[in-house]
Amino acid sequence: MEIKFSIRRHDPMDGENPGPYYREYIVDAEEGMTVLEALLKISEEEDPTLAFRRSCRSAICGSCAMTVNGFARLTCSLQVIPEYQKMGAMRIEPLSNHRTIKDLVVDMAPFWEKMEKVAPFLMPAGGSEGNPVSIEDQAGIDESQRCIMCGCCNAECNSLEIDERFIAPAASAKAWRFVGDVREGHRGKRLERLSEEHGIWDCVRCIHCTQYCPKDVKPLKQIESLRSAAMKEGVLDNPGARHVEAMADSVERFGRLDEAAMTFRTLGFLRSVGMIPLGLRLEKHGKMPHPYIFPQIMEIDEVRAVYDEIEKKYGLKPKKEG
Amino acid sequence: MIIGAGLAGMRAAIEAARNGLDTALVTKVYPVRSHSVAAQGGMNAALKETDSWEAHAFDTVKGSDWLGDQDAIEVMCSEGPGDILELEGMGAIFNRDSRGHIAQRPFGGAGYPRTCYLADRTGHALLHVMYEQVLKHGVFIYDEWHVTRLVIEGGKVSGVIAMELDTGKLHRLRSKSVIMATGGYGRVYRTTTNALSSTGDGLGLALSAGLPLMDMEFVQFHPTVLKRTGILMTEGARGEGGFLLNSLGERFMEKYAPKVKELASRDVVSRAEQTEIEEGRGVEGCVLLDLRHLGADTIKSKLSQIRELAMNFAGVDPIEAPVPVKPGAHYSMGGIPADIDCQTEIPGLFAAGECACVSVHGANRLGGNSLLEAVVFGRRAGKRASEYADSTELVAFPDSALRDAANEVAEILRRDEGERVYALRDEMAGVMEEHCGIFRNRERLGKGLEQIREIKERHRRAALADRGDRFNAELLHIIELGSMLDASEAILVSALHREESRGSHFRTDFPKRDDSKWLKHTLVRKRGNDFTVGYKDVKITRFKPEERKY
Repeated sequence: MEIKFSIRRHDPMDGENPGPYYREYIVDAEEGMTVLEALLKISEEEDPTLAFRRSCRSAICGSCAMTVNGFARLTCSLQVIPEYQKMGAMRIEPLSNHRTIKDLVVDMAPFWEKMEKVAPFLMPAGGSEGNPVSIEDQAGIDESQRCIMCGCCNAECNSLEIDERFIAPAASAKAWRFVGDVREGHRGKRLERLSEEHGIWDCVRCIHCTQYCPKDVKPLKQIESLRSAAMKEGVLDNPGARHVEAMADSVERFGRLDEAAMTFRTLGFLRSVGMIPLGLRLEKHGKMPHPYIFPQIMEIDEVRAVYDEIEKKYGLKPKKEG
Repeated sequence: MIIGAGLAGMRAAIEAARNGLDTALVTKVYPVRSHSVAAQGGMNAALKETDSWEAHAFDTVKGSDWLGDQDAIEVMCSEGPGDILELEGMGAIFNRDSRGHIAQRPFGGAGYPRTCYLADRTGHALLHVMYEQVLKHGVFIYDEWHVTRLVIEGGKVSGVIAMELDTGKLHRLRSKSVIMATGGYGRVYRTTTNALSSTGDGLGLALSAGLPLMDMEFVQFHPTVLKRTGILMTEGARGEGGFLLNSLGERFMEKYAPKVKELASRDVVSRAEQTEIEEGRGVEGCVLLDLRHLGADTIKSKLSQIRELAMNFAGVDPIEAPVPVKPGAHYSMGGIPADIDCQTEIPGLFAAGECACVSVHGANRLGGNSLLEAVVFGRRAGKRASEYADSTELVAFPDSALRDAANEVAEILRRDEGERVYALRDEMAGVMEEHCGIFRNRERLGKGLEQIREIKERHRRAALADRGDRFNAELLHIIELGSMLDASEAILVSALHREESRGSHFRTDFPKRDDSKWLKHTLVRKRGNDFTVGYKDVKITRFKPEERKY
């Protein structure tokens, strides 16, 4: 089956023709051919100047992630014909949220730097040597262990798109690999650092990372595990934790979310003042939440009974400091 | 300085950094991309009271068809259990049994279930732990740098020349000691489990530096790889109880290895498969790996990656149907000869992992012994290379080295017209597959050698379509192809000379093992454009040669 590939070419260092531009190639795709195999065919038989990374071609080394028809994919495990039939096109571009070095090769340095930021190695508690990780204990971190560091999650991350300093999903999942390890000795310190600005609370939970992960690492789930762990650990002095507390409090007190009050609780007075321009714009579009006159709902006792039950069963209500 | 950042290279780097040395990895792919990541089944070590390292050593010697050096095998098997525990201390997690002990699965050629594993992605788990430790120890990483030559001055190592792939620039890297950990050459064959990056780079570098290569005729063909792509289906699939069936639905291994059947050593199983296929009992050039009787739960929990690979790359769900598989080039038993401390003939130059031949695998490697070798000898190389570096001064780095390397690259880029690199590579892989596969004979090998020599000539005149500096994959590949052709010639020359059948090397014209003449290692060296052949004794300590039967 002949399929037209449209590939984004870009060589920022080329003085004459840097691009970016799209070049088309016709590939005779056989049954089972992967996108990576098609790219190899193009580069080996037609245009050797096309640059892209590859190695294991069996979905375990993480080299060949690219944007295919608008979404981050691991090209070695994506078959050409079904993808083409589904999308009606075959457009190959470099990963989003990363600077292009040449064609489909992106600068992964920021990705590795984020990894290094979470101190991605076990720092065992004293006396934990020989302490086995039981089948049950392993289950809690097994998803995060599956990561191949291909970068698909970060490429699709909405928070990373607006804040390049955001720790982003890949490194967060890696952080959970250690925070969730029963042998780890520096859980508290790690959670404190992860709760800082540009950390786990800056995730907007769009779930793209989990959706586009080719290895089912579920980074969002790991970020949520980190958030819960941080609050249980008493790391509460940050906007993220305060936001969760304010939410829980509001529902416990009134039986509903008092959105107008949330800003103050989350950001504090001074930073809330800075939000006034945003508030005015919201008001203009009729999106500004207004304070309730009688905020409490009638059936408040039922809500509180739920809270009591949760507290009894899981003790999940965040600890108050001091 | 360590060339290559797979399991052996990174383990060596950690050891050197622990010894307080300024340590760097030079690697053509980012460390977690190295091919160790694809190891699936596990890592052997005698951990249980009912097992012993001596039993592991015996299985390894027998697996090697008595060609392995027993002093090195003793080191590997006796130190292995300590390394397993150390890996766990570093953060690795091995699967546990219900009593909390490290679980161990049976593997081919082993008399005891002693393969430790993390599901079917053991290599991935261990490589990532090693990478974590490399970061922890502050090892410097020159990633996407390809070493183009070893620099030897006054008979001692002085450093390397490496090309930064991102810019095309050549750099001098000086070091008191250099460890080669460049992995295998699987890509010289058409059907291979190996990554596109497994191009035998270190072997080419070693030959050019005047070092010999040892036991290159011994190429491991893994019995279960997918037909079209060569992608590996772990031996763990048979370890967990999988069957191999021919077109008649027979478990044909009952004929070839009545006692252990599918769990005979890899050379035995691959030959059996090839025989079934050649005698007309194959299924479209394959045999069938049947896992259905293991049940969905076992397959999903212990062989989940295998299932995904079979579904993605062969369109078969092993829970529902048997997977067509065939033998494919998998591992290089031979390599750069090194002693039990990984020291090569050149002072300051060390070799570890698949590129080395210490020799623990002899004529055939047991499954689960390569991760073990990488970790044990990576550690030992790191230690010995550190001691060496502490005891010596930097050797002068000749100015000519960089100039020569630059001229070499410039000469390639200047060639106006010539054949395409990739076409030549395909031709080489075809020749090796046809003439130097599982069954060999003088005529086939001789023809293969002639053809490889002819392709080598054409490689010297091949020209590039990409003349750019940055991420020039074609330029990288013409250099890689040089190493692959050298490795191919070394394999063919060694195979042609060894007139017996031992382990993975099977000569239809000499179908018996002949200890009286051939209980010795082959050594080949490159002299100009020619290869010379020599031999070396096998070290036998406790296990006298006997007939090998499974």
